[in-house]
Amino acid sequence: MTLASTTAAAAALPRPWQWGISRYDIAGQHVYFEISWDDWRRDTAWARAMLADHGTGPDAGLVIVGGSFESPWFDPFETAARELGAPYSTGEIWAFEAFRTGMYARRLPITMIFGIDRTVAEGLGDELAEVAGRVPVIVARPDAAGLLAEAGAQPFIVTRVGPAIAVECPHRSGAHLNGAEWTLAERGGELFISTAGPRAHRVSEAATGLAGRLAEGPCPCGRTGQRVTVTETQGA
Amino acid sequence: MPDDRFLEPEIETMPRASLAALQEERILELVPYVYERSALVRRKWEEARVKPSDIGSLADFTERVPFITKDDIRRFRDQAGDPFGGLLCTRYADTSTVFSTSGTTGDATLYAHAWDQWHPFWAATARDLWEIGVRPGDYVLGSGFKMRGPLYHSDQMLGAIPVMVSTAIGGWATALDAIRRYRPVYAQLTGLALAELDHLSRDNDMRELFSSFKGAGFAGEPLGMRARQQLKTWGVEVYVWTSTGDVTGAFECRQHDGCHAWEDCVLLEAVDPAGTAPVAEGELGELVATSLDNPVTPLVRFRSDDIIRMTRRPCACGRTHARFWPVGRKGDETIVAGRSFVPMDIWRALEQVPETATALFQLVRPAREIDELKVRVGYDPDTTTSIPDLRDQVSEAIMSAVGVPPVLELLPEPELLARGRGGKLPRVVKS
Repeated sequence: MTLASTTAAAAALPRPWQWGISRYDIAGQHVYFEISWDDWRRDTAWARAMLADHGTGPDAGLVIVGGSFESPWFDPFETAARELGAPYSTGEIWAFEAFRTGMYARRLPITMIFGIDRTVAEGLGDELAEVAGRVPVIVARPDAAGLLAEAGAQPFIVTRVGPAIAVECPHRSGAHLNGAEWTLAERGGELFISTAGPRAHRVSEAATGLAGRLAEGPCPCGRTGQRVTVTETQGA
Repeated sequence: MPDDRFLEPEIETMPRASLAALQEERILELVPYVYERSALVRRKWEEARVKPSDIGSLADFTERVPFITKDDIRRFRDQAGDPFGGLLCTRYADTSTVFSTSGTTGDATLYAHAWDQWHPFWAATARDLWEIGVRPGDYVLGSGFKMRGPLYHSDQMLGAIPVMVSTAIGGWATALDAIRRYRPVYAQLTGLALAELDHLSRDNDMRELFSSFKGAGFAGEPLGMRARQQLKTWGVEVYVWTSTGDVTGAFECRQHDGCHAWEDCVLLEAVDPAGTAPVAEGELGELVATSLDNPVTPLVRFRSDDIIRMTRRPCACGRTHARFWPVGRKGDETIVAGRSFVPMDIWRALEQVPETATALFQLVRPAREIDELKVRVGYDPDTTTSIPDLRDQVSEAIMSAVGVPPVLELLPEPELLARGRGGKLPRVVKS
């Protein structure tokens, strides 16, 4: 088979340690960062646990909504879905592509939409209420939560925090950060991020451009790390 | 083992007779498999009174197996309530991913794969990027649209490093910053991206910016002459690519003499667009594709609506797989007031007017034969000083190209760009 032969040919090539490079923007400043293959593997393991908590397994079907340039944050969830045996489709975060998220939700037995933002929620127009009623679990970005709630959903939250991502578990007690990789500090309502794990990207108390509050202490889900509630985006 | 030019030289330059034998072997495995599992294939074959036992060779397959059209898939989907239109040969739960066509010419069609490490559509593309010159450790501007899945897999397979910044509409100003910083060797371009780069070229030294590039892919729609010239001016070697009926990609090689299909992955035919007979080599025909490498939603003699010219003559690069030249979409030919034209005619006309040189336009056509030629045209608001003058110039250019005076709707480019989908602007719309 083509895939098998091409995969074998590619496997013989030298492989760099970088999985990829991406960028987050803080108040108009570009911050480039590298993701190693080891970073990506650990992120995928964490994503797998978060998705499993939301019931993702072989009977699930997901639409994961994110731009291609957001793959360092969202690819681990795509890979995790696949590893959990759940088929996934991808939606883009552009208004003109909102139809695709709606189409998958309408045509397929989708059990979770992950990552929907306000642009897509608005782009769905009248279809949003139908999507909200049909899909049991919606994990939305903070800017879409209000619209989805108005449409009848009870969304959980996923939010990018600088180079990291935070996801709410089913207990709705704030979005979990992977504490083995990152730590957050709050000063004057603003969130600052530091590297905690053996990541390629090292930052110390770096501004995230986000306002929010932190919760410490154990969550009913059993995780003990920080949880974050983003209250405002400041030019990120 | 890869060589300087080919990732899989023994497959890419395989003798035609060996390739035909490989295809026949795969077709004979596919025939009973799809008949048992694909509800649409079974329905079509039963209607045509064809059974798997009737197919004993590649020749039997191309002579006897009925075609499947996009309308067949949509009809089955609507009648049976099957989202896959009868194409799915496994359970939904056994798939890994379900993606879809762009949806620019109607309702998007779903296709699924089961895979482990690399997405199959992009795995085959690794051969093309290798030939363009992408090598381990190179940076690749690795964004684009994900409607066909993780396109950066082809970069990562080759040991290249994708630089994932937004190259969607409005993203290129900051993508240029990433180009300055990482000096990538390859990027994916679309017509909409070129429109944006055209504006950015006024304030940026594009030749210097693109000097690290070994090539850039261009897909989604025809590449106009002006855009091709502009890329040449910037020093960018552009590689046109397209898809083979949504089975895999097909890229130009460094010879730029047709798009290379991967015939170990897809069986390609070119047939009379208005009939069923194969067309002679090099003649205009409709691309018909059969998946040889997708056991989940295999297409079987799928009529793509893509009009091509095809040859199975070896390429000067040494590859032996079929090459084809995309010409347009079936049904794009329009007749107005008894005159026939295709969207490319309007494209060339608009390229001649500086304010509309990016050729962003939509032909508004409720039917194939129309009484008036209605065209929605995007203009550059930064350089347009008089809308009435522009209207006169554009009318004259289109009149000269098509022979019919147009009814124009002029829109600033950003407004028209917002009507794009998946990196493409639908060029023929109903309203």
